[in-house]
Amino acid sequence: MRLRVQYSLGPDLRFLSHLDLMHMVERALRRADIPFLLSQGYNPHIHLSLGTVLPVGLWGQQEYFDLELEEMYPQLFKQRMNEVLPPAMRIQHCRLIPLEAPSLMKLINTATYVFCITDVSKEQLNTLVRNWYESSALPVPSRGKKKDRVKDLRKGIYRININHGEDAFQLEFLVSAGEPLNIRYDELLDLISASVSPRLIVDYFRKGNYIKKKDRLYSPLEKVM
Amino acid sequence: MKDKLFRDILPWVSKPIRYTGGEVNIIRKDWQESKAKMAFAFPDVYEIGMSHIGGKILYGLVNEKSQHLLERTYAPWPDMEERMREEKIPLYTLESFTPLKDFDVVGFSLQYELTITNVLNMLDLAGIPVLAEQRSDQDPLITAGGPVAFNPEPFADFFDVFLIGDGEELLLEFLDMVDQTRNLERRQRLQKMAEIPGIYVPSLYEVEYHEDGTIKSRVPLYGGVPERVRKRVIPDLDYAYFPDKPIIPYMNIVHDRAVLEVMRGCQRGCRFCHAGVVYRPVRERSLEVLKKQAELQLKNTGYEEISLASLSTLDYTGVDRLVRHLVCSYGERGIGVSLPSLRVDAFSIDLANEVQKVRKTTLTLAPEAGSQRLRDVINKNVSEEQVIEAVEAAFQSGWNAVKLYFMIGLPTETEADLEGILDLVNKVRETGQKYSRRSVEVRASIAAFVPKAHTPFQWVVQNTAGELEDKRRYMMRQKRKGIKLSFHESYTSLVEGALARGDRRLGRVIFHAWQNGCKFDSWSEYFQLDQWVQAFQACQIDMDFYTQRMRSMDEIFPWDFIDTGVSRKFLQSEYNKALQGELTPDCRIADCTGCGICSGLGVELSLKEAGDYAFKSPV
Repeated sequence: MRLRVQYSLGPDLRFLSHLDLMHMVERALRRADIPFLLSQGYNPHIHLSLGTVLPVGLWGQQEYFDLELEEMYPQLFKQRMNEVLPPAMRIQHCRLIPLEAPSLMKLINTATYVFCITDVSKEQLNTLVRNWYESSALPVPSRGKKKDRVKDLRKGIYRININHGEDAFQLEFLVSAGEPLNIRYDELLDLISASVSPRLIVDYFRKGNYIKKKDRLYSPLEKVM
Repeated sequence: MKDKLFRDILPWVSKPIRYTGGEVNIIRKDWQESKAKMAFAFPDVYEIGMSHIGGKILYGLVNEKSQHLLERTYAPWPDMEERMREEKIPLYTLESFTPLKDFDVVGFSLQYELTITNVLNMLDLAGIPVLAEQRSDQDPLITAGGPVAFNPEPFADFFDVFLIGDGEELLLEFLDMVDQTRNLERRQRLQKMAEIPGIYVPSLYEVEYHEDGTIKSRVPLYGGVPERVRKRVIPDLDYAYFPDKPIIPYMNIVHDRAVLEVMRGCQRGCRFCHAGVVYRPVRERSLEVLKKQAELQLKNTGYEEISLASLSTLDYTGVDRLVRHLVCSYGERGIGVSLPSLRVDAFSIDLANEVQKVRKTTLTLAPEAGSQRLRDVINKNVSEEQVIEAVEAAFQSGWNAVKLYFMIGLPTETEADLEGILDLVNKVRETGQKYSRRSVEVRASIAAFVPKAHTPFQWVVQNTAGELEDKRRYMMRQKRKGIKLSFHESYTSLVEGALARGDRRLGRVIFHAWQNGCKFDSWSEYFQLDQWVQAFQACQIDMDFYTQRMRSMDEIFPWDFIDTGVSRKFLQSEYNKALQGELTPDCRIADCTGCGICSGLGVELSLKEAGDYAFKSPV
């Protein structure tokens, strides 16, 4: 069977790399005695695919992985895993999905990133957001594979909200993710830093990953095909 | 401090996960409830320090089995150090982000001489005076242990206390004393500690020198301070603590797997080998104990690989049964077994085949010297035929890469011995070509021999950097297809050599080198020869006195007062036999060789499984 799992990765684990996270989950699967399936052949590995990958430095509230395993109640999976995982990683939900369902990488096309900013006024942020909305292009140096290129973020930014956080304002960006246009958190950080001192940006994280169909957003747990 | 680290510092350094702590199986003891508080400091980066078994043992031992507390700290990489100094963050422990200065004890693990500059740097980053004599009653006690502590003298200026030998018993006794004496002044405390067997307090001795620079005498300054310090030995490993629940790092470390210590010590008696003397005698763990430890450790870590560690794992009397057990019990779950070093014989290859049912990677063998004559000199009892047989067996069963370890600069070495290395490497490749369908690659890693204290070669002259360079050039004079020779840095081995057989006067040199920016000297990209040379000059100390001088047989050595249990008479007879090319057999097979360890320390060889296989080969 194939399980889709939604988890959170707290600030304490924000510096894990993709590979670190993969090893951590694999070892947790072994400690929890989960009946995972191994690939055949040269170098057997667990059928685990981390569909969403948090870059080093970022933490996330709703991330996802898929796992192939023998029959097991999803609730039992969640319970046993949460017993052995470090407190900063929590499994929130999981559900069975068809074996032939497309991978998370193929499905997820939208993400929200949140930046917490102190010592600014709401008016300043309003002006900032209005300017971004009204710009026809928002060029920043690309942080992805094509490093020397300039990337236009404008058409990948769907919406920006300003929320009141505990002791900071939160700028929340709903952006395009994956193919064909991937907006990275560090590119957004560059965009904000052009107008706000980096010292005032006290935290940032990914709030969620979604599947956008027309104008509706679905969670990868709702929309599996 | 943690908030500041996470927000202002870690996003800007390389591999920040080294500095965050919070790993699975971390132990956070209550500070107030704990008696002595000790920081275990490893003077190299996290991924190296976390790979070290001794640290895992002591961490679990103190935290699980005593009322004391032990937290970890590692050397920050220079980019992190720079940030910490800029932001005025003192060196802290990963468990509780407590500055080192707040601990009762900071204990360093000395695995390699050249890490000493990192010790000084870490103390400085912690705001603790680097020199022992400048510390006050409020400063932590700075201690060190590990193989390098068997010649503690070059490092005497920086440590209050050295712990000599197996730490399992000694460390707890030491921490008890730390707790009991906390109201005494520093000197009195140290005197109390010096009474514990295995503890050496350098400030309680005075050393006098002859005019030629050799040692005239060393005397204790107070009554009750022992003249000789005898290493501590755990007599039976079955009753020694071993962690069932080690910390699982988040980042990929050098040895990222579960580990069993199948035995401690090695009785092969290679004459260049420091570990072979200081870890004597051989003590094995029983199969049943190891099986249980494997089960618990795998259950508690979820590791996908388990490794059998020791100085010479293939000599463990139960090795074949243990390997088969592990492969049978855990292989189906995708858990692999790894053997760290292979002996040169067909048995090893059989066993390795067992372990690597699917993956055939590089076969590693260590003939150490290129000619039979020189192998006899160093008591490396292996013949060319055995090497070739092992390689044949390996290639026949599907391996296609071989790595060979050699040393150059060994005593009595001539050009013929260097030729011997090249010949042997060629023969290995030819053998490979015969059996393998693909093109075979043979790599030879060639290290410079460094004479070490407490070994039969403690008297000899070390090669100069020039000599080593000439030898390297000679061996590299023609390129050979499918053969890769790699040489260790010849200059680092000189500084290593000076420290390995150095005395107290080198403390000034080390201090000077550190002040001039030396750190991470064991990393070739950071080693600065010119700074070391300058440090020796500035202190008016001749490096050649330590590396280029043939010592007389009756010279008093700086390390003589550290009693490893092996007699100096035995070392001397081994040296004489070396010059004659005479072999000394392994005492597990032949008679007692009279090294003195068993009678001297009141211990004995502890062989547990009496397996047939391990003794099949004399190698």
